[in-house]
Amino acid sequence: MTDPVIIFDLLLAAAVVALAVASLSVRDLFVAIVLFITFGLLSALSWVRLAAPDVALAEAAIGTGVTGALLLKTLRHLRYVSGTLDRAEALSVTPAAPVPAPVIWANAAFCGLVTLGLAVAFLGAPRSGPGFDALVAEAMPASGVDHPVTAVLLNFRAYDTLMEVVVLLAAVIAVWQIERGLSDAPAPVLGAVWEGFARLTLPAIVVVGTYLLWKGAEAPGGAFQGGAVLAAVGLLLLLSRLYVPQPSHRGVARWAFVLGTGAFAGVALLVAGGGRVAFEYPPEHAKTLILLIEGLVTISIAVTLAALFHGREPVALRSDRGRA
Amino acid sequence: MTLDPMILALFAPLFGAVAAFVLPRAAGAVGLVAVLLTCGAVLALARQVLAAGAVTLELGGWAPPMGIALRADGLGVAMLAMTAAVGLLVSVGALDALREARQRQYFWPLWLLLLTGMNGVYLGTDIFNLYVMIEVIALAAVGLTVLSGTREAVRAGLEYMYASILGALLFLMGVGFVYLQLGRLDFAGLIAAEPSAALSAALALMIVGLLLKTALFPLHFWLPAAHANATAPASALLSGLVVKAALYIFLRLTTHVPLPDEILVTLIGALGAGAVLWGGVQALRAERLKLLVAWSTVVQIGLIFIAFARAGQVGLAESWKAAALLILAHGVAKAAMFLAAGRIRDEVGHDIIRDLDRAPIRPTLAQFTFALAAISLIGLPPSLGFIGKWSLMEGAMAAGYWHWVAVTMIGTLLSVAYFSRVLAGFLRFDRVRAPLGEHQGWALADIAPLTLAISAISLGLLAAPILSFIELGYPFGAKP
Repeated sequence: MTDPVIIFDLLLAAAVVALAVASLSVRDLFVAIVLFITFGLLSALSWVRLAAPDVALAEAAIGTGVTGALLLKTLRHLRYVSGTLDRAEALSVTPAAPVPAPVIWANAAFCGLVTLGLAVAFLGAPRSGPGFDALVAEAMPASGVDHPVTAVLLNFRAYDTLMEVVVLLAAVIAVWQIERGLSDAPAPVLGAVWEGFARLTLPAIVVVGTYLLWKGAEAPGGAFQGGAVLAAVGLLLLLSRLYVPQPSHRGVARWAFVLGTGAFAGVALLVAGGGRVAFEYPPEHAKTLILLIEGLVTISIAVTLAALFHGREPVALRSDRGRA
Repeated sequence: MTLDPMILALFAPLFGAVAAFVLPRAAGAVGLVAVLLTCGAVLALARQVLAAGAVTLELGGWAPPMGIALRADGLGVAMLAMTAAVGLLVSVGALDALREARQRQYFWPLWLLLLTGMNGVYLGTDIFNLYVMIEVIALAAVGLTVLSGTREAVRAGLEYMYASILGALLFLMGVGFVYLQLGRLDFAGLIAAEPSAALSAALALMIVGLLLKTALFPLHFWLPAAHANATAPASALLSGLVVKAALYIFLRLTTHVPLPDEILVTLIGALGAGAVLWGGVQALRAERLKLLVAWSTVVQIGLIFIAFARAGQVGLAESWKAAALLILAHGVAKAAMFLAAGRIRDEVGHDIIRDLDRAPIRPTLAQFTFALAAISLIGLPPSLGFIGKWSLMEGAMAAGYWHWVAVTMIGTLLSVAYFSRVLAGFLRFDRVRAPLGEHQGWALADIAPLTLAISAISLGLLAAPILSFIELGYPFGAKP
């Protein structure tokens, strides 16, 4: 007796693969991005079916939402602002110069070997591995939170998570230091529908993002998901030009970028002492400390993702007003 | 509050990066203090390791495999020390070499994040943690690549980023499959694991990712442009230090889970031989000084892999030492050479090899530094490079693998040839005679590369203590 849900799963798997193929093979870049976003949403659904709701939330918020926005922004920049692509070129993924045949064959051989490795590793893998489940369950009472994923990310393996936050910091520093000259994108023309949309969604986004963060202690959610949702506020503000980054805001922005890393690392260091090592939160304060870290990390993630969408260090503009 | 030196080695550069980023005007001073603190931490750690062998620290008090432990042994501390020392001298050089305000402002946070990541790799014992660390390294390194702001650098940086992300992705997929197989991610779990085809495939994915990141031929395609177009201090860090992180993980992995097959060891050596020959020929053809130096990195990486494979699978227990010596030697000498090349370019105004001898200004000190670094990279006694090459060939001869000796010899001849292209230009200084009393092209900024180059030569005299130090704490023994 097969579970009827299996049909849904099969359809989902087929759709994910089909969307991936379509997104890679379609010639129009805009369509490719839209297909990619759809692919991301269905992947998020697959994570739900794989009983990994945390990953699903992250995939939907970061992998699909923020990434899709970044891709669309880049495409727009390539087309209309930098002038490196004219419209025909921008709409096509055909490279300007043909790739030499030996390079294609070498790449194909390389990809084939990797696929072979993946296949062997996959076929030989046990259906359900041993994993950390038992160890995590045993250590949960001392973790300070009720959700195992949060306990692993913010307590048991907090060092990994700190360094992931550092990766994001490195990314925004790397983006800010790229010199772009002084021209900035002209503001996109947004109509009345847009304003109504922003008015309706902004409060909802704030509530959802904060809820995701708060709920992370006991249920799926947490800093990365909440931060990505809150970053959407920044995206809307930037798109509608309700907020225009100014050079004088750079100082505050820098502090906001490093807030999460600094607080996370600072707490890790300050709890050490009295026989404790770095990252060893005292169990009675663990929940408070974890919430404090998550809250500050969320702010940093949200601001950083919004800054990545803006895509540059705010610089003094010469004459942008006439074009907007 | 007692501060463990391992924690300090991680957090000093991390907080330094944060402070240097929020205080852009004081970035240089903040950066230098952070690097000095890191050096102090590494010294303290070296003393601990000398006294007690390997030291470990379970972060958060959670024991592996669920938690993450840091571990320092002889090899790890040697890598930390090389990184800190080279990093300190490159930092001193960077104080003068970076001219633009934007570069001065952004060099420090990126470099300190890079240092955090590299220290994390050398202290890491958990393969997922190592993945996170190589991501930190990758993004900071890409940032440093494009710091020079030229169009070529941005393009090379983008290619570097694609290669780097692909490498990290392959590594991560391998890590995922290892976790699925073993249910744990720490090195101790890998040692205890039963060998199986699936585990080998997972490790193969990880290793291919690492080879891409360390730029072993034919996966080196991204390296020459990226290293040649960065600013001089960034090039020194990228070439001297960054590629070593992935190389180090490779060494660690292959000794915790020895390569199952003689054929694989030979294949690694063959790729190394390809790098030595192809890189050598490309270095002979390079028109720009920095590009030549970058190709020489491809050659040296190949040489390190030949050292790894010098005596086949049975010889791995000893061969890693030859590879480690070459890693250390290349780190010091290549940083010196890139800084010197940057100085020459700054003084002369270009780095086209053919025209270097026609410049009215002769940056003699930088040229001297370049020559010293070349001595170590070619492998002439008494440099550390010589000791590394010697132990490579000794092991190969003892095992009867004469083909590795032959490849090394050819590589050495090629390196003499391509460095001679540059050095000959330095000697023929009479094409344009500079008026007496004019600027001689010496500067304070020459001190850092010169110190590095002299160290590369003189460390060869300390080879015996270095060799016994890297063996401390059983980096590659039966004990984890």
